[in-house]
Amino acid sequence: MAGKAVVVGSGAGGSTSAMVLAEAGWDVVILEKGANYFRNLTSPTPKTLFSNDELKSSIRFFEDPDTDAEPRTYRRSASDADPLAVGNVNHLPSTVGGGTVHWDAKTPRLWDIDFKKLSMLGPVANADVRDWPFAYEDIAPFYDEIEDLIGVQGDVTKLPALTLKHAPRRARYGGRGFAMPPGPPQYSSLIAAQGATLMGLHPYPTPMAINSEPHGGRPACNDCGFCSHYGCPIHARVGALAPLRRALLAGAELRPNTFAYKVEHTGGRATGVSYVDAFGARHTESADVVVLAGSTIESIRLALLSQIPDPHQQIGRYLFFHWFTAGFAVFLRERMHAYRGRSTTHDVDDFADPDFPGAKVFAAANRLPYIRGGVLELGGTQDPISEALVYQSTILPLISPRQPFGRAFKQLMRASLLRDRFFGLEMIGEDLAQATNRVDLDPKVRDARGFPVARVTYSPHAHEIAAQRFYIPLITAMLKASGADATAAVPETSSPSFPVPLSEVPGGAHIMGGMRMGHDPKISVTNEHGRLHALDNVMVSDGSVFVTSGAHNPTLTIMATALRNVRALAGSASAAGAKKPRVLGQKQTRQEQLPATGVGERTAEGVAMIASAAGLAATLKRGRTKRIDP
Amino acid sequence: MPELSRRRFIQAASLAPLAAALPKGFIAQALAAPATQSFVFFDPHQAAVVREATARLIPGPQDDPLEAGHPGAREANVVRYIDVLLGAFSFKPPRIHAGGPYSNRNGEDEDYMANFVPLVPLQEASWRKRLAALQKEYAAGIKALDAAAGGDFTTASTSKQDSALAGAGDFLTILFTHAIEGFLSAPEYGGNAGGVGWKEISFHGDTQPRGWTPSEVTNSDGLNPVVPDVIVAGVMEHMNEAALGIVARRRGGR
Repeated sequence: MAGKAVVVGSGAGGSTSAMVLAEAGWDVVILEKGANYFRNLTSPTPKTLFSNDELKSSIRFFEDPDTDAEPRTYRRSASDADPLAVGNVNHLPSTVGGGTVHWDAKTPRLWDIDFKKLSMLGPVANADVRDWPFAYEDIAPFYDEIEDLIGVQGDVTKLPALTLKHAPRRARYGGRGFAMPPGPPQYSSLIAAQGATLMGLHPYPTPMAINSEPHGGRPACNDCGFCSHYGCPIHARVGALAPLRRALLAGAELRPNTFAYKVEHTGGRATGVSYVDAFGARHTESADVVVLAGSTIESIRLALLSQIPDPHQQIGRYLFFHWFTAGFAVFLRERMHAYRGRSTTHDVDDFADPDFPGAKVFAAANRLPYIRGGVLELGGTQDPISEALVYQSTILPLISPRQPFGRAFKQLMRASLLRDRFFGLEMIGEDLAQATNRVDLDPKVRDARGFPVARVTYSPHAHEIAAQRFYIPLITAMLKASGADATAAVPETSSPSFPVPLSEVPGGAHIMGGMRMGHDPKISVTNEHGRLHALDNVMVSDGSVFVTSGAHNPTLTIMATALRNVRALAGSASAAGAKKPRVLGQKQTRQEQLPATGVGERTAEGVAMIASAAGLAATLKRGRTKRIDP
Repeated sequence: MPELSRRRFIQAASLAPLAAALPKGFIAQALAAPATQSFVFFDPHQAAVVREATARLIPGPQDDPLEAGHPGAREANVVRYIDVLLGAFSFKPPRIHAGGPYSNRNGEDEDYMANFVPLVPLQEASWRKRLAALQKEYAAGIKALDAAAGGDFTTASTSKQDSALAGAGDFLTILFTHAIEGFLSAPEYGGNAGGVGWKEISFHGDTQPRGWTPSEVTNSDGLNPVVPDVIVAGVMEHMNEAALGIVARRRGGR
C-alpha cells in the first residue's frame, strides 16, 4: 500500500485519524464541507472568529449547517408516507473542528457493559443488542491517550465507586487520574447535586476537556458561561483542534468548503474521493485509503451516495439517538446564575446502572430483561434569546392569550423564572439497536448542491420508553429535594407513549451507529477495526461505528475508537512500505495559506479586511508569501 | 454624520490599510450610534411602523407608563436591528455573522465582534434567499398593519395598534421574534443599543476575555426573592408546557 489518505471530515474522529496517518508519514488531505473559522491552526491557540454571541451560534447557522441549504428529513417509521419534518434533524456543526467547536467537552467513558452488552446483559426482544469487537480493557489505553491529547480536568478520588467499577482508571497524575483538577463548581450544579445527595445518589465533578489551569499551551478557562453550543474564544476548551493541529504540523492539508459526494471505487477497493468545491466545481482526489468521518448521518449519506456494495442491506441501520429526558427547576428565593461557568459541572451516574434499586422490577413489569437510563448532567440553563422565544411561543399564549406581547413579556424577562432563577438537567438515556432505525437517501429532497439528503427513520424501543417512565418521577423528586419551587421533567422527544406534539424530531446531538463494527458482514458494516467489509481500504472513524449507544456522552469514545482503529491501519500500512515518519513541524502546512473561512481567492478582498481589522494582516501576508514561494 | 454617509465611510474603511489607520473602536462607535432617520432597507414610513409596532411588543417608558425606568424596543433601536438584517447585503461583508473572539465591552480595546465574517458561497446563497422572502413578508405585513389600524399604524391609538398586532397572524410571530433578537443580541447587530436590553434583564452579555471569577461561579449572589405576581404564578402553573417549549426549541427550533 502506498501512502495517501483522504479524510472526509475534520471533527473528532477525522482529525484523530488524520493525526495518526500524517504522523506515520502518510500524505493526508482532509476534506471539510464547512467553513474554517480559525487561522493558524498549527498554534495551540489559533485566531478564532467564535465569540460570546447567541444570535450567531443559536439562530443564524454560523457553525451549524444552514437548514434551508442542507436539510434532512425525518419520519417515525417506513409507514409514514411523507416526511414529518424537513430541515434540522439532529444537526451537528459543519465547520473545521466539527461538533467539538461547540461541545461543552464533557468526557465520561463508556462502561464495560456497553462494549460487551450482549455477553454481560443478554438479549432484548425486538432489539439487536450486540457486543463491540473489543472490550473496555482494550480501549482503556486509548482513552488514556486521548485524555492526554486534549487535556482533561477531573478527580478520580471523587468518582463514584459505581463509575470506577464499570470504567476503571489508572491512578495517573499523582493519583488524581486526570491532567488537571476540577475547576470551580457552578452554584446551580452544586444546588442540583445537593438534591441528588439527599436522594442517596452520587454526584461528582464531571471530567471535561476544559483547562482548569494553563495546559498544553492554552489558558485556563475563565468560566465565561458561553460553553455548550458556543465556540471557545480563548481555547481553554479543546477537542478536534488538538489532533488537527498535530496532523497539520505533520504535513496534512486541510480543504474547507469541500463537499465529498462520492467515494470512487472499483473491484472492492476505493480509489479516491470526488468532491465539490466552494464554487461548485467538481474534483477527484485519488487515495490509497479513505477515511469517512463526516459524523454519523453524513458519513452514511456519503456511503449511500457512493453506492458502496451492501449485499446484506446493513448500511445506515441500527442508528442511535441518545434518548434524552430533561428536568427543570425554578427557584423564587434567589438567582441561580447558571449563565456563569462551563454549562454544567456535575454528573450523576446512578441512573445508568441497570441494577439501580427498583429498575429490574420495573423492567420485568414491562417484559424487559433490564432498563437503563443514563448519565445526568446537572445545572445548565438557557440564554436570553432562547428564554424570550419560549415566553413568546409557549407562555404568553397561555397567560395572556388575547394580547400575547407587551408588558407581560417584559415582566417575564425581568423575573427570569426560565433562565436566571432556574436550572435544568438532562438524562442521556441509552438507546437500543433496531434495524428499522436507519438513515437512507430521501427520494425527493435535495440539498442546495443538488445531492439527495439524508432521510432519518427513527422510533424508540420499548426499553427507552420504560426507562424514561421509571426515571422521570425520580428526576422530579431530585429537583424537589434541591429546594425548587416548581419543577417539570419531560421527554425531549415525543413517542406514541409520550405524545408530545412540540417535539416530534429527535434531538440531542448524540448520534451513533449505522455502520457498526463487527466480525460478521451479515450484521455489521465495518470490521473489527472500523474498515468497511465491502471496501477494505475505507475506514469509518466517527460515531457510526458504535455497536451500542452507551449511556454517556460519545465524543471521547469516538476519538479513542478512531485512534485504536486507525493506528492498526497506519501500522500495517507502514510495515507494507509507507514513507518514513515525519518530524513534527518539518513540513509547512498549506492550511495556513487559506484565508479566513477558507473560501479562496474570490473573497480575498473581504478576507483582507477582516484579517486586518482583527489584527491578522501579518498572518495573511505570510500565508500569501508561502503560496508564491513554497 | 448622516447614516448613509457613515455607512459609505464604513464600507470605504473596509479596505485594509484604512481600517488599520482608524482610531480604535471607531467602527464599533459608528455601529452603536443612536437611531437616525436613514435606513438601508425600510423607507421612512415602513421604519416608523416597525418602530411603533415593536414598541407595542416590547414597550418602554414612552409606551407604557408602568414601564417607567425600563427601556424597550424603541430605546434598544430594534428597528435598526431589523433594517440591518433585511438589508444585510448592503454591507460588505454582509452583516449576518459578527466576528470574534471578543467585543470591547470587557476590557479589550478593540471590538472584534464589529468585524463581520464573510459568508461562504453556500451560506450567501441561502441568506439571500431567506432575506428576500423576509423582505416580502415585511412589505406585506407593514401594509396589513396599516390597513388594520385604519390606514396609518403610526398615528393609530395604542389600543388599535395592539388589536392590529394581535390579528397580524404569522407576521406577528416574525416581528416579535426579530424584536426579541434585536433587544437581546449583541449591539454589533444594530439593536440592543448601549446594551439596554441586557441591563433590563440583569444579564451581563458577552463576558470574554474577562469571564467570571471562581467565587462568582460557585457562590450564591445572596437572597433575591422575586415578587410573586400573576406572571410568576402563570409560569409556575404552566411549568410542564414551559419545559416542552424549551425542549422543542432545543431540538432545533429555528
